[in-house]
Amino acid sequence: MHPTSEADLAEAIATAKGALRIQGGATRDIGAPVIGTPLSTQAMDGIVEYEPGALTLVARAGTPLAQIEAALAAEGQRLPFEPMDHRPVLGTTGTPTIGGVVAANVSGPRRVQVGACRDFLLGARFVDGAGRVLKNGGRVMKNVTGYDLVKLMAGSFGTLGVITEVSFKVLPIPETQVTLAFSGHDPARAVVTMAAALSSPFEVSGAAWVQGQTLLRLEGMERSVAYRVGALAQRLQPFGQADHIQGTAANTLWQTIRDAGALVGCETLWRVSLKPSDAPAFLAAVDPEQQLKCQIDWGGGLIWLGAQTAENAANTHARLRAEIATLGGHVTMLKAPTALRTSLAVFQPEPPATAALARALRHRFDPKAILNPGLMG
Amino acid sequence: MEMPAPNPAVLALKPRLVARLQEVLAPDAVIHDEAETRAYECDALTAYRCPPLCAVLPSTTQQVSDVLRICHEMGVPVVPRGSGTSLAGGALPTADSVILGVARMNDVLEVDYDNRFVRVQSGRTNLSVTGAVEADGFFYAPDPSSQLACAISGNIAMNSGGAHCLKYGVTTNNLLGVTLVLMDGTVLELGGAHMDAPGLDFLGVICGSEGQLGVVTEATLRILPKPEGARPVLMGYDSNEVAGQVVSDIIKAGVLPVAIEFMDRPCIRATEAFAKAGYPDCEALLIVEVEGSADEIDEQLALITAIARRHNPVELREAADEEQARRIWLGRKSAFGAMGQINDYMCLDGTIPVSQLPYVLRRIGEMSKDYGLGVGNVFHAGDGNMHPLILFDANKPGDLELCEAFGADILRLCVEVGGCLTGEHGVGIEKRDLMVDQFAPDDLDIQMAVKDVFDPKWLLNPAKVFPLAASEPRRQAQIAAE
Amino acid sequence: MQTHFTPTQLQDPGTARANDILRACVHCGFCTATCPTYQVLGDELDSPRGRIYLIKDMLENNRVPDAKTVKHIDRCLSCLACMSTCPSGVHYMHLVDHAREYIENTYRRPLGERLLRWVLARILPHPKRFRVALLLAQIGRPFARLIPDARLRAMLAMAPRSLPPVSRNDDPQSFAPKAPRKMRVALMTGCAQKALNTDINDATIRLLTRLGCEVVVPKGAGCCGALTHHMGKTDESHQSAARNIRAWAAEMDGQGLDAIVINTSGCGTTIKDYGHMFRTSPLAADAQRVSAIAMDISEVLIKLDLPHATTAPALTVAYHAACSLQHGQQIKDHPKTLLKRAGFRVVEPADSHLCCGSAGTFNLMQPEISAQLKARKLATLQARNPDVIAAGNIGCMMQIGSAAGVPVVHTVELLDWATGGPVPPAMGATQPGHAPSLPSAMAVPILR
Repeated sequence: MHPTSEADLAEAIATAKGALRIQGGATRDIGAPVIGTPLSTQAMDGIVEYEPGALTLVARAGTPLAQIEAALAAEGQRLPFEPMDHRPVLGTTGTPTIGGVVAANVSGPRRVQVGACRDFLLGARFVDGAGRVLKNGGRVMKNVTGYDLVKLMAGSFGTLGVITEVSFKVLPIPETQVTLAFSGHDPARAVVTMAAALSSPFEVSGAAWVQGQTLLRLEGMERSVAYRVGALAQRLQPFGQADHIQGTAANTLWQTIRDAGALVGCETLWRVSLKPSDAPAFLAAVDPEQQLKCQIDWGGGLIWLGAQTAENAANTHARLRAEIATLGGHVTMLKAPTALRTSLAVFQPEPPATAALARALRHRFDPKAILNPGLMG
Repeated sequence: MEMPAPNPAVLALKPRLVARLQEVLAPDAVIHDEAETRAYECDALTAYRCPPLCAVLPSTTQQVSDVLRICHEMGVPVVPRGSGTSLAGGALPTADSVILGVARMNDVLEVDYDNRFVRVQSGRTNLSVTGAVEADGFFYAPDPSSQLACAISGNIAMNSGGAHCLKYGVTTNNLLGVTLVLMDGTVLELGGAHMDAPGLDFLGVICGSEGQLGVVTEATLRILPKPEGARPVLMGYDSNEVAGQVVSDIIKAGVLPVAIEFMDRPCIRATEAFAKAGYPDCEALLIVEVEGSADEIDEQLALITAIARRHNPVELREAADEEQARRIWLGRKSAFGAMGQINDYMCLDGTIPVSQLPYVLRRIGEMSKDYGLGVGNVFHAGDGNMHPLILFDANKPGDLELCEAFGADILRLCVEVGGCLTGEHGVGIEKRDLMVDQFAPDDLDIQMAVKDVFDPKWLLNPAKVFPLAASEPRRQAQIAAE
Repeated sequence: MQTHFTPTQLQDPGTARANDILRACVHCGFCTATCPTYQVLGDELDSPRGRIYLIKDMLENNRVPDAKTVKHIDRCLSCLACMSTCPSGVHYMHLVDHAREYIENTYRRPLGERLLRWVLARILPHPKRFRVALLLAQIGRPFARLIPDARLRAMLAMAPRSLPPVSRNDDPQSFAPKAPRKMRVALMTGCAQKALNTDINDATIRLLTRLGCEVVVPKGAGCCGALTHHMGKTDESHQSAARNIRAWAAEMDGQGLDAIVINTSGCGTTIKDYGHMFRTSPLAADAQRVSAIAMDISEVLIKLDLPHATTAPALTVAYHAACSLQHGQQIKDHPKTLLKRAGFRVVEPADSHLCCGSAGTFNLMQPEISAQLKARKLATLQARNPDVIAAGNIGCMMQIGSAAGVPVVHTVELLDWATGGPVPPAMGATQPGHAPSLPSAMAVPILR
């Protein structure tokens, strides 16, 4: 189904006979597999309103992300949370939509400094499982009128409603950027280096570790960046001498990090969210032989782990979950063969009381349980 | 302002309730004497007052859980209270409700600079959260004007902002985790030192839920390294339109100030008379502050003052040193106190798209003449969060009602131009009835459905946020079930 | 806030003043943030905002206050931190003083309490009686455990271990300046202070005369009335104050005065308020004159040129800001400026706005709360690792001195030392509190 308007969509949902598989560009195939009639939002596209002077953009959910990014770039602005492109690691094809970005709360390296997708979402329109057209939030940054269901919708993977329109706060693209690259770091050294950088007043906008390199990004006005790069490098001298990466090379580098490029080709993929300083201990515990592909982002707060094959996936999965249970945080199985995605819990199981709340919420938003049922467990 | 009538069956339970509460709390933690409950009859919105059945002051999460469990069993509504600084009546009780105050829970539990968070008990004041980490070069960013006295619990309930939120976000963007006690006494741990939710974003919906989904007893908050320095620049303009344009131009130029504050002529005059900060007598005044190292500040200010000059300011004042910087901010920081010296006032906080600033200010001026009540405007121009201060005389019969009518019109105007009823203070009781101007019935219903899930009996702060008519079936169901 | 007084009620000047103050309050709650009892107790009723609310209700309804209302108002330290914080200019001091008077006139306290308050009012403002009481306390100290009442026990514990002999410097007389005369000032010698510590007045006289002041101790002056005033016993407080007003006015009309110098900030706040206290009295004009020239010692010293030279070592001085000085009189910088000029390294404790818990008779009447505040204050002072602690008020010095671990002196003693005076006795080997060093002093030991 490809409804072209909100009203159409509402009708389709209200009259739906069975489960629906909600999709934007279908590039982010995450979660337990959903058996249902595909319902796409791609035909509900278009930028509704864009006010650069107010840093606000409103677009329909089916609008291609690329279109939005182009429109913003033309005014020297961007989506600050740097949404990841899942296609390389998931091996999917298609055109990512802004609705999908929101439904999966997709962010990138800059999340460590400015916040996630949900932190820039000002408002949303959506259709719930009963076919009601609903709205929450608006177009302004400061809005505490009633409950914040906008945050609830972000990252709900279509299980609470089908997003039809979103409003974002956007920010200017800075004049320039420089990345400091430290080589020969292991995760432990990387995390302390990144912690030192992130506790500095120099506004680090990216802190990642991949293939033995700790990478720290600084963005801003020309002179500001030059000063901060120098000051930061000096402060981080105990951790080594850093190379400088700039321009296109830097942009490409961070795009690759954003898209977990180091894990392209893995058959199974996990996304771990934990307290940054726990990252080295976590890795040492779950992968002492370093057999998994690994990338650290958000100063240590995000770990990508991937296995070339799905052979030991269930064991790895159990090991990751066991370790995260002692440390705190969560593990999401982002990619795996369908059978595993059905038999294992893709999303981190929550304590009974919290799980009960989630179930009850889903029941209120989707009484017939037709919206991506079971996707989040 | 209508409030639900107290349930006689609950009122009759008072002795038994007090006895049960005294079993689980310290001797001086249950306040039930009429002479004493009066002090808890309102928060900073003094126009509406009603002494509660009793007030309790727990000291631990376990005690909070016990209190809620008891009230849940007995069907007694509970109204949570932080420091009682709400301007929206968030902590206003009904005669049959228990005020649950968290002011005794104000410890710092954990400070972690490597992972940049601090964990505190929710009764701790906002400013003292920064106080706990500033010696080590950190701060907690959301800074509502009441930050000296307001509690984190209230900040989370209302999703408070402040002047710095233009750059650093509001409470929900700086909240990493909470210990939440549900109305039936269940204790939940949500979030923590890690980023992103494992499943649905509960933290996101709890923040800003005005104490209706649960009582937060502990919070994990993001702390940030203090910038190397900050400096303000003051600009005066002859027209609100021009000032609004300047704000827009600064933003479009790619400079991200840490704060942009706006004051209009009535406010400037009242503030000058009181604080004598040396502000120019002009139609619109802007204070723009930037952060960074000395060089970076210079770089940003050069850009900003260039933009400012293009629009022919009446005055352009940079701060050469700390004392001058303090004086630039002095007036703005004393604005509310200054207005309060001349008059009683009602402070609103509708938000509008920044581009609508001049139009809305003009309309407010027109309405001010129609209503015959003076208005001063001071607000966070960077995000369109307005604070019209409507002046009235509390001791003059009819003035309060007139003031409220005027306020309601201003807020409707905000919604009309694409904004919202409240940017910082929350709905409370103050804007309850205006919710229908911003939301359709289904929109309100889905929000109430969320409350149904967290608090099926509708005992937690039931008379807030939603128009009474809208929430009546749910509240009545609870009473009928007794 | 909206108030509800009848026109008849408003005819009473005290009520009218209370109404003005109550109207100024917008119930914003900022004051709760800096109120020491709210920090300790976490109860709205023990915050300035809550007390204002209780007082409002009591006065509007001409209510005979109940025990609970009295309890919360009794718990107010009158530290006036709330006045420093209030963005609306609420004059809390006048309101709570009026309330205390109202309570004293309408509320019948339990017998024990009445007795205790009567005894304190009869003894503390009278140095001779106070010395006798302190002597008795020293004798009774070993039996403290047998005393059931917590307050009496606290009082025994508070009595100092040793007492100074009477200093004849406190007798009416005039001290000639040691440098070309710049000012003629009266020294307020007070009541309780001179029974507990004669070093402060000695140092004050030395320093002022060294800097060119003629210092006169006028005849007929005594207790300023603060102690009884804060108990609501306004007849007695007005009697004491009137005596002082007459004595000082006589001196002003005689050889003239440039200032009335006060080195106990608790008294200073009250004396500066004489104008308000006596506004409806025949003494109004004189009271106004007296208030107008009342100055804390630090204010006077700032006017005179304290030399930059120092004959004292560059010690680390933790400056304890007495509430009556920083909040009551809004003097926050002078003492620190003076200490720095005198060559000392000045540090301040965290939360310096919070009361030490002394607060006049508060540490005697509310020992539990006072003890908590004292512990907090000591911890923050000790955290700065000072060599010595300086304060501008005897009450604070007694409260902190009892457990500080380092010497506690009056700011003026350090300044005297740094400009040529002796080492403050509290810092040296001699007995603290009573080292005579002026030729005219005749030491009369009262107890050893």
